[in-house]
Amino acid sequence: MNKSVPKFSLKSALVAICLLAGSLFWINWDKKPLISQEYSEMDQKISDKSYPIEENDKKAADTNQTTSMPIYNHWRTFTTRDGLPSDKAHCVRVDGDRVWVGTDNGLALYEKGRWYTYTVADGLAHPTVLSIDVSPITGDVWIATMGGLNRWSAGRFDKFDQFNSGLINDVVYGVACDGNDVWAATASGVSRLNTNTGQWTIFNVENAPMHEPWAYSVSAKDSMVYIAVWGGGVVEFNTRTERWRDYRDPDKEMEIDLFPDDGLVHDVTASVSYENGILWVGTYFGLNRYNGSRWWGYFDHDSGLASNFINFVKARGSVVWICTDKGLNSFNGKTWVTYHKIPNNSGGEILISEGATVVEKSAYSTTIAHNFVLGIDFQGDTLWVATAKGVSRGVDQRESTIQSP
Amino acid sequence: MKNRKRLFIIAGTLSLIIFLVVLGVGHRWSSKHVYYITGGQPHPVDCIPCHVNTQRSGFAGRFLKKHYLSPLNIAVSPDGRQLYVIAQEGNALLVVATAERKVISKIGVGERPHSVVLSRNGEIGYVSNQWSNTVSVIHLSDQRIIDTLNVGSGPSGLSLGPKGIFLYVANSYSNDISILNLESGHEIKRLAAGRNPCSVQFSPDGKTVYVTNLLSNPAPFRTSPVSEVTVIDAISQQVVQRKNLSSAHLLENVVFTPTGDLAFVTLARPKNLIPATQIERGWMMTYGVGVIEQNKEGKAAQFLLDEPNMSFADPYDIVITPDGKLAFVTQAGADYVTVFDVEAVRTLFSEATPANLATYANDLDLSSRYVIKRIPTGPNPKGLAVSTDGKRLYVAERLADRIAVIDTEIMEIVETIDLGGPGEESMVRRGRRLFNSAENTFQGQFSCSTCHPDGHEDGLTYDLTGTGRNLANVQTLRDLSGTSPFKWNGKNVSIYMQCGMRFSKFLTRTESYSSEDLDALVAFIKRDLSHPPNRYRNASGELTPAQLRGKAIFERTQTNDGRSIPSKDRCNTCHPPPYFTNRQKSDVGTLAATDSPVVFDSPKLSNIYESAPYLHDGRAATLEEIWTKFNPEDKHGIANDLTKLQLNDMVEYLISLEAEPSWKEE
Repeated sequence: MNKSVPKFSLKSALVAICLLAGSLFWINWDKKPLISQEYSEMDQKISDKSYPIEENDKKAADTNQTTSMPIYNHWRTFTTRDGLPSDKAHCVRVDGDRVWVGTDNGLALYEKGRWYTYTVADGLAHPTVLSIDVSPITGDVWIATMGGLNRWSAGRFDKFDQFNSGLINDVVYGVACDGNDVWAATASGVSRLNTNTGQWTIFNVENAPMHEPWAYSVSAKDSMVYIAVWGGGVVEFNTRTERWRDYRDPDKEMEIDLFPDDGLVHDVTASVSYENGILWVGTYFGLNRYNGSRWWGYFDHDSGLASNFINFVKARGSVVWICTDKGLNSFNGKTWVTYHKIPNNSGGEILISEGATVVEKSAYSTTIAHNFVLGIDFQGDTLWVATAKGVSRGVDQRESTIQSP
Repeated sequence: MKNRKRLFIIAGTLSLIIFLVVLGVGHRWSSKHVYYITGGQPHPVDCIPCHVNTQRSGFAGRFLKKHYLSPLNIAVSPDGRQLYVIAQEGNALLVVATAERKVISKIGVGERPHSVVLSRNGEIGYVSNQWSNTVSVIHLSDQRIIDTLNVGSGPSGLSLGPKGIFLYVANSYSNDISILNLESGHEIKRLAAGRNPCSVQFSPDGKTVYVTNLLSNPAPFRTSPVSEVTVIDAISQQVVQRKNLSSAHLLENVVFTPTGDLAFVTLARPKNLIPATQIERGWMMTYGVGVIEQNKEGKAAQFLLDEPNMSFADPYDIVITPDGKLAFVTQAGADYVTVFDVEAVRTLFSEATPANLATYANDLDLSSRYVIKRIPTGPNPKGLAVSTDGKRLYVAERLADRIAVIDTEIMEIVETIDLGGPGEESMVRRGRRLFNSAENTFQGQFSCSTCHPDGHEDGLTYDLTGTGRNLANVQTLRDLSGTSPFKWNGKNVSIYMQCGMRFSKFLTRTESYSSEDLDALVAFIKRDLSHPPNRYRNASGELTPAQLRGKAIFERTQTNDGRSIPSKDRCNTCHPPPYFTNRQKSDVGTLAATDSPVVFDSPKLSNIYESAPYLHDGRAATLEEIWTKFNPEDKHGIANDLTKLQLNDMVEYLISLEAEPSWKEE
């Protein structure tokens, strides 16, 4: 009989108790004024030491490249007071010098230090914007909303919905540009628009191994398209061969991950990101990494993952960023960095972990706007983060970054 | 013998009587037939014009076919010694020696060539082939095609970057712009344009590219057209701005001043929201140029080239002399080249307050302050090219197969160059001339071509009968043969009736066409107006898997849950091949409260993807909307049980439908 690894094992319970104790400690500690001289000085005295990495960490076995892990310790938050149409930001997308933010009350554009807002009156398909992508070829901005898909092209909004086009459903959770194709993940499947021919193709449970209709996220790169299907795992589409493949949770258990690293940790997937040949999958029950031949699973009890409830993942090079309901993570295959806002305070903490072991904890006077993090994107050395209470812009003001061998 | 003679006389008399009776009855029947076909317009009882001259194929079609050249656009060599002329109907690039005033070579290119540009040294010519979806690369000295580059659908305008590396191509049918890297010979990207992009122009500094769009962008129902000038940054090769010209339409061509401070765009200003009967008030259609400032502010305005009592319809091309002083505009529906003073427009433009500037677009008096001269030309003047020294202006007189040469100092035609067409004007050619001429409308306000550019449709909905009733979405005139009756309500049984005296009463407010002219016009429409090759059809003619699935839905007899679909509610009942119309009227549940109580003629469906918006009043912006929004009771075919996948497949099939390939036969 195979050994099972329940998610809520005794070890997990102990970890939970420790975390609870820690939390109580933090609550007490939090009663002290956080933004003190002590922390201002801390901002200036950020450690630049390198962190020892356990050589035999089996979950990092496939990685042999050096990956820098910048620490974003200086943050600025934007809210409605700065010009955002709403504090609830579902997504953020960098577009050269510009930054697009999708909120529940319109589309915002940050350009030359100012926020501009686009609403339904301007041509936006719906006030709630869930995902944004920019075509690297044309520069057109594709906007997924709760009421259809928009193309914003040099100020002109083109609207595609289930009534006027081949878009399968108006609730568009995700959008991704891949060459001349635009992929839209919707509540009824996936639509592909060939922008050269104007032709739409629909993929759903009828003609693709999707198992469930709710496509929550799509990531497309290098002829590979990955779709997170809520309740249906991940489906892969090779645009060269036009072939599908599905990835499911092998144990099919809703409550536990029966066998570690055997595949998807759960079929309830929320986000996918494909970068450098590595597929990252965010589920509501943990994180997955897949290199084409092997899977790894990560949970909050056995790694530095802030929470198993993952809203969004996005990889940049070998580093993946994980947006959870309890903060923001970055992870390079070995080292975890967690950004966490301290409740009722403008400051926050940064935890650096190896596996589940926190090796450093630092407090800062600025941090992400809220721990419910929904989106992230990168603008050079600057990080943009969409949260439930505003958009945060982070920069690395440390003298050096963590180096992983 | 006597009896035999008597019998012979009686038989002869009887035969004569029978002959006369038959002749009389026949003539009466024929008269009635002609009366019916023409809608009562006087017309000789003559079978030939209608039954022979309109034939596209067969013996009559071949016998009557004349091989006209129809010069459309021109380029002049850097040394001015040669002209390169697009022969649109000749599928060729003509090389003309300017000194000898004769064609010295004819280079065969693709189907329906549109534009030509030359490399800076004049060694290479690039020709867009609108019906072949290619650009021919021609080595001009040995007149050899050295490459054929694939682009989008319907390539028309071309512009070459300053270094000669990138060629920008306006794809008029696929509504985008191809950027070709001429070093690699590949298309590197396609950018979304407006609707029917038709001309491209680099700014003098090479940093910006302007694209004009023939048709206005889709606009909310019953709102004025807004047309777009698409602005591309030549460095990033991305669209950076979309300049909207309100109430403007048919933006054919664009030119920059030599200093690059202004761009001029030819345009029309249709008043499609007011009753078309207002034509007698003199401003149903106006024509002019849009002016766009090339600075950060990017101010834009529109200046009319018309006069208070005379329109100069269908402006096509525009060029400016190298010294930047004079602009020349071909007014293809008026058979004129209009000359205006660039500095006078610049002064008006820069000195006007924003409020004043807005009024200029409708000021018919203003043209007297900048129009210097009207130069009459041959029929349907189109492309222009000015010599490097600025002394000579070449005008493509499209329907005369001729190039007019204008001395830019005296502003008169000083010579013409015959390109070697058939010479005589056939009936069909005469019809084409009438179709493109505004001389038959009140004060020359529009030609047939104004609302049916290139024989197609302008994408607008007009208030034809007045008071906001019976709004009519303009329908294509391509491939009409065999698809009668006409008009949305099917009241016109023939093109004769459609274009005859009713038309003149309602629309042109002039005397109707003579019977000879009507014969010519009908012959032209039936013979010469064809859809371009369907771009959604495989070269092999085979349907794609999605199109095949859509065909099955189009022809289905049962709903998804197994209920039988009555014959009258099946798609292919009203839209059967070969023309995809049963030529009958039906109630499809789209009658508006403002419509007279009519039923609608089933329109043909060939190349239907070119004809947005849809339905009789243009309320459906896309094919999908016909069923997703405007078929709530399944009156327009039983379709509400279709899944989205099925609807998409059906649309895929619909856009693949094409008429008989008459253009190939000819």
